[in-house]
Amino acid sequence: MTKRYVLVHDENKCIGCQACNVACRSENNVPESVTRIQVRVEGPYGNFPNLHFKYNRVSCEQCEDAPCVKVCPTGAAYVNDDGIVSINEKKCVGCLYCVAACPYKVRFINPETRVPDKCDFCKESRLARGEDPACVSVCPTQALAFGDANDSTSEVSQLLDTKNHYQHKVNLGTKPRVYRIPSRKGGIKV
Amino acid sequence: MKLDRRTFIKGAGAGTAGCALAALPGSIAALGSVSVKGSETSIASSCEMCSTRCPISARVVNGKNVSILGNKKAKSFGGAVCARGGAGHSLLYDKQRIVKPLKRVGERGEGKWAEIEWDEAYRLIAENLNKIKAKHGAESVAFSSKSGSLEGHLFHLAKTFGSPNTFTHASTCPAGYVVAAKAIFGGKIKRDLSNSKYIINFGHNLYEGINMSETRGMMNAQMEKGAKLVVFEPRFSIVADKADEWYAIKPGTDVAVALAICHTLINDDLYDKDFVAQYVEGFDEFAKEVKNYTPEWAEAISDVPAEDIRRITHEYAAAAPHALVDFGHRSSFTTEEFEMRRALYAANVLVGNIERKGGLYFGKKASSYNKYAGEKVAPTLSKPGVKDLPKIDAKRIDMVDEQYSLLWSSGGIYQTILDATLEAVPYQLHGWVMSRTNPMQTMTDRARIVESMQKLDFVVACDLYITESAAYADVFLPESTYLERDEEIKDKSGKNPAYYVRQRVVDTIGDTKPSWQIWKEVADKLGLGEYFPWENMQTLQMFQVNKDVSLLDKIKNDGWVSYGKPLMLREPGMVNTFVAEYPNAISPDEDKTYASHLSFKTPSGKIELSSNKVEKMAPGRGVIKYREVTMKKADELFFIQGKVAVHTNGATQNVPMLASLMSDNALWIHPITAGHMGISSGDKIRIYNDTGSEEGHALVTPGIRPDTVFAYMGCGSKNKELARATGKGIHCGNLLPHVTSPVTGMNLHTTGVKIAKI
Repeated sequence: MTKRYVLVHDENKCIGCQACNVACRSENNVPESVTRIQVRVEGPYGNFPNLHFKYNRVSCEQCEDAPCVKVCPTGAAYVNDDGIVSINEKKCVGCLYCVAACPYKVRFINPETRVPDKCDFCKESRLARGEDPACVSVCPTQALAFGDANDSTSEVSQLLDTKNHYQHKVNLGTKPRVYRIPSRKGGIKV
Repeated sequence: MKLDRRTFIKGAGAGTAGCALAALPGSIAALGSVSVKGSETSIASSCEMCSTRCPISARVVNGKNVSILGNKKAKSFGGAVCARGGAGHSLLYDKQRIVKPLKRVGERGEGKWAEIEWDEAYRLIAENLNKIKAKHGAESVAFSSKSGSLEGHLFHLAKTFGSPNTFTHASTCPAGYVVAAKAIFGGKIKRDLSNSKYIINFGHNLYEGINMSETRGMMNAQMEKGAKLVVFEPRFSIVADKADEWYAIKPGTDVAVALAICHTLINDDLYDKDFVAQYVEGFDEFAKEVKNYTPEWAEAISDVPAEDIRRITHEYAAAAPHALVDFGHRSSFTTEEFEMRRALYAANVLVGNIERKGGLYFGKKASSYNKYAGEKVAPTLSKPGVKDLPKIDAKRIDMVDEQYSLLWSSGGIYQTILDATLEAVPYQLHGWVMSRTNPMQTMTDRARIVESMQKLDFVVACDLYITESAAYADVFLPESTYLERDEEIKDKSGKNPAYYVRQRVVDTIGDTKPSWQIWKEVADKLGLGEYFPWENMQTLQMFQVNKDVSLLDKIKNDGWVSYGKPLMLREPGMVNTFVAEYPNAISPDEDKTYASHLSFKTPSGKIELSSNKVEKMAPGRGVIKYREVTMKKADELFFIQGKVAVHTNGATQNVPMLASLMSDNALWIHPITAGHMGISSGDKIRIYNDTGSEEGHALVTPGIRPDTVFAYMGCGSKNKELARATGKGIHCGNLLPHVTSPVTGMNLHTTGVKIAKI
């Protein structure tokens, strides 16, 4: 693998405004009834007045060891050498194994293309043009950082080196490439 | 989404959730298939999904879609757009948008419309308005507009027609802090959140009511520079969540805490005496008044612990002058709005943060900036003056009371349109021309607005949708969206001069026009064309830049241009950089600042903490003073509202992408309160008071005081034309009473309600 694209979501900076959700829809022509990313503002947790929200980004985790890829019988789901979990529409037979296998429940069938769909870091549109994914570009509070974790000078490498972070469901061994910087109030305490 | 006819039909099911309506006359749906044509290369323009007007960069993608991103040239905006901004194209080709002029064919508000041609629309308007003018005088027609880029064109029409009665939404939203700033500083003031080290916030929820540069500035200050944020707000909002400390203050008692902060600053000798001595008028009267406003006194009123008020004040003073008390934004929480905003300003003045980093400052437009620099750093723009405008003798309908004289030039008391229509106070109104304004959602007492609309002889609405208010018009004029129109160059100077411009990105869909053109053509029909000497927007822009074509090209190419270095007059570092940059700059004072040049457009030329002018206007209000207010009855709950990040007040609820994100506004109720009434989350409830009654859903959450309930504003539309928004959620304007706060003229956005499970 030459590149290891990762996304870092700083939950301290995230305000749950859905700018990422909308930008993703526009950039990737995501139909109304489905979604590639959203940020769920969950809570508040705690007891009044010591409350906190959780800002939970829900999107493809770009697993290094991706269950959706493992179960795909035709090789339509694959991991590229940039580390992005991708779909080859031509090879897809619509068996839905990948949708069922995803432990993060972020794969869906696109009602227009009839093919499994999900976040791909805008790889065919924006990434191909050398731009950041749409969500990263528009984020009002710069809560998202995207880049190559194999490059030690990249912003994401530096964030991961310096900030306390976590990933979802690491116990499953999927090695997700979406990293989260927990909010001071609601997150993991060191 | 592919925009062929098949997908349009497919989309209908998801978007309108079962509202299988026949196509509305004049709508895009009635037009049949629509394609989006326009520039495939990025055009720099500005957003209009709210009133902040963020710089954007937009292009048409394969004739199917419009990609809208932020314009990276505008640094403080960082190339970002919010959800509303990103959803602009969803508004553009929404099949429910109206793209053909309409006239009412049923009863007013009945929802029966017929498509007409522009010429007929103009003829109807000219006939009716001229008839009213001949019979009752031009002043009996009111003109109101969304504040923003094109309001001036409607107001120019009003002037040429002969009516002084022009209104913006000021008294329903920002008038409080504007009027208070005028009284204290002599004009508008800005906050330098991005450089602040300590921010005290009274519910100005910049993380939901997003103003891109301020939102980014505050987040940057918090996360990158370690600023401390203290929030006083009855609800656990996003800004409360992001705060270092949140206090669930009792609704409407902000003024008590603000005054207790001022008391502590003075009593504990924490204030900037030199600053006060040099720049402040009326300090002694103010100090005498706040002597009694101790933190203990404030605690009894507000539920904020006295020891916390005292500690926070000491922390704030320690961080000063790079610290500020945010003077807030929308809504009048109580009738003591004027005192509340002034108390917030006072807490800034006392620490001397004016024209200091992280404090408050005045915008530096080209003319003043150039004067300091001793050279023409930034170009100045010209205004087209129109000579020999008709003289208007009639008094404005909101100028019957001297106490409101600080307000009217900022937009007027919008709700006086209703008083004049229903009660002929001070005289009878007969017509109303409105442009992109939706008082049914933003004003109070909805029933009174309906009554007024029914009583008027003639109502015109210019808008994108048949909004709740436009539904009562006689003639509906479809305005082009911001993506389809050009506008004048606008000033957006902050610490240094800046200009921006809105430019057309896509070809016009259907038969709409920009409102500047609509009002010019209405004027032609009214026989007032001579007062509109410009041909089109290009001639206006050329006039603005004094025929400097290269300047105009630059502004259009970049969409946003700024000049020079940031300047704050009392900040030595900034003045130093400024002087180094411009050799002819005015020499700094002994203390290496421009402090001696700081002046205020008040009667005394100083910051007026107490004001004789105000005392004359509104006896008893010269000195900032606490007065007890009654917000609700004993057996009621406080009802408060706020903004949400995915909608703009009452304007975007029908935009498909945004309606999908949020179409309902559940009522937040504390678990204890809900428990008493046997209410669980999702339960259907009735919310009612003397003003009105609404049905909605409950959201049981600990994020609200037990004595208070909350709803995001803008939902619950009642006219059938807004198919996605109608009947969903609570209509706040239907529950808020008609009360106007002294001096600021704002209508009241806090009241009491009762709740019942249904």
